[in-house]
Amino acid sequence: MALALYPGFYTLAVNSPAGAEFVTVLPRVETMIVVLYFGLFAMSFDFISGYTGYLSFGHAVFFGTGAYTVILAANGKLPLVPTDTPFVLLLVLAGLLAVLLAVAIGSVSFRLSGVYFAMITLGFSQVIYVFVRDWDYVGSNPRDGVSVSFDTHPEAFEVGVPFVDALGLGLGKLNGDELALGVVDLSTVEVSYYLVGLVVLVCYFAMQRIIHSPFGKVMLAIRENEERARAVGYDTDRYKLVAFAVSAFFAAVAGGLFAGYSRAVSPDETFFFLVTGDALLVSIIGGFGTLAGPLFGTLFDELFREFLSKEGTGGGLLPYLQSHLPQGVLEAVIYNGMTVGEAVDTFLNGHASLFLGVLFVLFVLFVPGGLLGTVRGRLGGTASKQVAARLRSAGTNETSGGAASEDD
Amino acid sequence: MSRLRTHGLTKRFGGLTAVDDVDVELGDELCSLIGPNGAGKTTFFDLLTGVLEPTEGTVEHRRDGEWHDVTGAPPHETAARGVHRSYQITSVFPESTVHENVRIAAQAAGDDSFTGWRNAGAFDRYLREADTILDRVGLADRADRPARSLSHGAKRQLEVAVALAGDPDVLLLDEPNAGVSSESVDDIIALIEDVATDHAVLLVEHNMDIVMNVSDRIVVLNRGSVIADGTPEDVRDDPAVQEAYLGGYEPGALDATETDEESTDTAEGSA
Repeated sequence: MALALYPGFYTLAVNSPAGAEFVTVLPRVETMIVVLYFGLFAMSFDFISGYTGYLSFGHAVFFGTGAYTVILAANGKLPLVPTDTPFVLLLVLAGLLAVLLAVAIGSVSFRLSGVYFAMITLGFSQVIYVFVRDWDYVGSNPRDGVSVSFDTHPEAFEVGVPFVDALGLGLGKLNGDELALGVVDLSTVEVSYYLVGLVVLVCYFAMQRIIHSPFGKVMLAIRENEERARAVGYDTDRYKLVAFAVSAFFAAVAGGLFAGYSRAVSPDETFFFLVTGDALLVSIIGGFGTLAGPLFGTLFDELFREFLSKEGTGGGLLPYLQSHLPQGVLEAVIYNGMTVGEAVDTFLNGHASLFLGVLFVLFVLFVPGGLLGTVRGRLGGTASKQVAARLRSAGTNETSGGAASEDD
Repeated sequence: MSRLRTHGLTKRFGGLTAVDDVDVELGDELCSLIGPNGAGKTTFFDLLTGVLEPTEGTVEHRRDGEWHDVTGAPPHETAARGVHRSYQITSVFPESTVHENVRIAAQAAGDDSFTGWRNAGAFDRYLREADTILDRVGLADRADRPARSLSHGAKRQLEVAVALAGDPDVLLLDEPNAGVSSESVDDIIALIEDVATDHAVLLVEHNMDIVMNVSDRIVVLNRGSVIADGTPEDVRDDPAVQEAYLGGYEPGALDATETDEESTDTAEGSA
């Protein structure tokens, strides 16, 4: 996959003669880590919302559960969980706690459907958000969040085989591991990128497998026609609840990865309902009801945000224009005393969300299938199968063409 | 052998009694349930399959020679027991292929549906069952098309195919001919007669020519109650039935009214 080579490509591109242009256009590797773990969260959101049709608008609660489980465990605040529990086991534990929470929330919420289901899950997540925001057990200032204490957990969170130190590498920008493989030196961020990517990939394959299993087919049947699914003999409530629990598990793993990488979380980045809103946004941009779609949607979203961001957060259009446009152009007056430089600043400084909102509206109106859904619609199947089929048929055409010319 | 019986089955919606004290026993036969619109036929189906809970009375299902009370059992349970239904207004899985529509229904009868780690394509018996059923209903050539792209007539065939999957012993067919053009009606009639050879079938149908030709037995509902129950000849000659519904039926005499009915049905179907 192209994503595997991204850090190397980024380093090469940025150091090339057109480096400034590449910095403007390409996302940083840090941003790509966000794409990976948030993409996983969006996939888990799409797993329940896109595949069974039940919009889980309180999905952030599972992301938050994952993140807080990791942080609290590392700070020694989870009963019976030692602070040096391997990170991979913490992710599983976080997932299982989210499963319990999902069963509790789901068994009440699945009495409703449609917009009422979305509202009741939102209600649950907001209750928990408010609770965590004021819960001073997690830290002295719960509103601002909590970070991993260096007293109880000085080492980085390791992704690898539990209890085997040699088979694990540390996550994190500051205290993660660096890695030298022959001629390639990977920085802490690049190592973290691969580690997070590895976990996300495993989770993606697991979800992909469930989608194509008999269970996944029942999920689709529920989305398409729940009444008929019940009439042919499926106890749809049980299937919905299990699907909800599975998606909660992966949402919590995503939250755990976020916490493990950043070592600090706040309620607003985890439990808040706009976190779910972002997942919905990227799912729709990427393709609702396709598993990889939300990941591409997240990539698109982060790329766009970074492109329109300010100096120092990954470069983008604004600093590029400010430093590369000639002084004369910047000082030229367009209208009523406003110069080009001021106009650039006015329109581009801190308005990424505004432009993204406009883009979102355009997507919903003109690309209803999302990026991946539209590509599949055009090709008439999944991209991998169709491209392979075309290459194969192109190959046979050539050989048959060759044979024909020989006959002549 | 009787498969399904009701005793004093009653459903009231507020002041309206939709189904009123119905005692019906269904055996291995093709039994038609007829009655004017609003007679309570679909409500009766909903009571049999557990979509609605009866106000009074019982529904019993016989399996392995023993009667089980299934009154008010939820739809998925009655389906699992072997009572399957088709819908008056086509209700299939529109985005799935024709084959998947039948396969998912066949899978419901097995116990693999909570398997989450093996590909659905690895469970041969459901794939084969779907193939067999599609052959039987004559949709094998369109197996890979999405259900929504089928013509209305083919959708009605698929509707029956989905109900057939999972080897039911009782089939409740709610107007399988609704909105089907007269050329295609014969296909569906042939299909109904074919499935009646190995299932107990309860058929709701408005076309009297069909009802008189295919039924072993006819039950007439009017305003929720059974007003006649017997062979086609008996029912045809019953003065109460003629009064309530048939309006002096003569074979072929309904052709003129039939065309009217069909055009309204088509309008309903496309809406």
